[in-house]
Amino acid sequence: MITVVREPEGREQTFEHVHTVHKLLNKLGARPGAVLVIRGAELLTQDRRIEDGELIIVRKVRSSG
Amino acid sequence: MKCRRCKEPAQVALPSHNTAFCPDCFFLFYLRQIERAVKDHAMLVPEDRVLVALSGGKDSLALMVALAELGYDVTGLHISLGIPGSSDEARRIVTEFCAQRGFALEIVDTPALGLAIPEVKARLRRPICAVCGKIKRHYFNLAAIEGGYSVLATGHNLDDETARLFANTIRWDPDYLAGQGPSLPAAGGFPRKVKPLYRLGEYENACFAFLKGLTYATTPCPYSQGASFTGHKALLETLELRSPGAKIAFYDGFLARGRPAFEARCAAASRPLVPCARCGAPTNESPCGVCRIRALLAETPDAV
Repeated sequence: MITVVREPEGREQTFEHVHTVHKLLNKLGARPGAVLVIRGAELLTQDRRIEDGELIIVRKVRSSG
Repeated sequence: MKCRRCKEPAQVALPSHNTAFCPDCFFLFYLRQIERAVKDHAMLVPEDRVLVALSGGKDSLALMVALAELGYDVTGLHISLGIPGSSDEARRIVTEFCAQRGFALEIVDTPALGLAIPEVKARLRRPICAVCGKIKRHYFNLAAIEGGYSVLATGHNLDDETARLFANTIRWDPDYLAGQGPSLPAAGGFPRKVKPLYRLGEYENACFAFLKGLTYATTPCPYSQGASFTGHKALLETLELRSPGAKIAFYDGFLARGRPAFEARCAAASRPLVPCARCGAPTNESPCGVCRIRALLAETPDAV
């Protein structure tokens, strides 16, 4: 299971059987290029694997005023 | 995915450039995009004193860091607007950012000048985003002129510029189309104005800000809900997903082939700048827009 924090809302979600960034973005309905996918101090591209127990931040990039 | 330059694991994928980079190579790419914008549009020279408008968002803070890394003499300018739930956070972030990185900072506090945005919004029956933009531009100009800065730089990015171009195009607004671009020369007392990030989208700026460890404001302005530009950005994001590179092609194509036609059409009709009779700021029509807002506020003390 992975834990995902959506920013800027701060909403936390958990997912089972999601092992790549590509699958995670599909689950979230988020477009690549519209969000940063953050693990610790690094950014993850769509092909990167995600392991159970990891905390992933998905940060919206579009500013709205 | 590997970095195109050094083959280390990539952290930033850029479909619009058909490439991907590790952090260090992305920083090089990012600075080169700014250098290209500066060179192509004669935005800056090494001797310039650059006043950088800092909202506290990712784009303006990234611009400040990048221009400093490129060796420019930069000073920050923050306009504090008195908007509950957003202005205090933005001011704190900008102040801490400049203190931590040793940047000089000027702050203009519009409530202290009788122009708190919530009060303006409550008393004028006009779209607040347009009025707020007018007030900010007025104080950008004033601060640059009074401080002796040769150029004012803003963090407008490719998404901002294409959304604005799209809005101007669907209205077929010749005056706005003639005036849109990444660089405006100094004229009639106004400082030169430049947008060095116009080749970089929100995603690239967000990546740069994150990888540089910048803390930036993410709280949206409470008055921006439903703003048309946000919808235009979403439309263009869909287009970019289907056709990577469409946004920069749209904008570069406009600059090369669209704008000259509108400039020629509008040049004869443009009015010369004159000093505002009340505040002295250069304007097409005296009194200037901000002095007219002040007059409206004075005339409508109880309007809702």
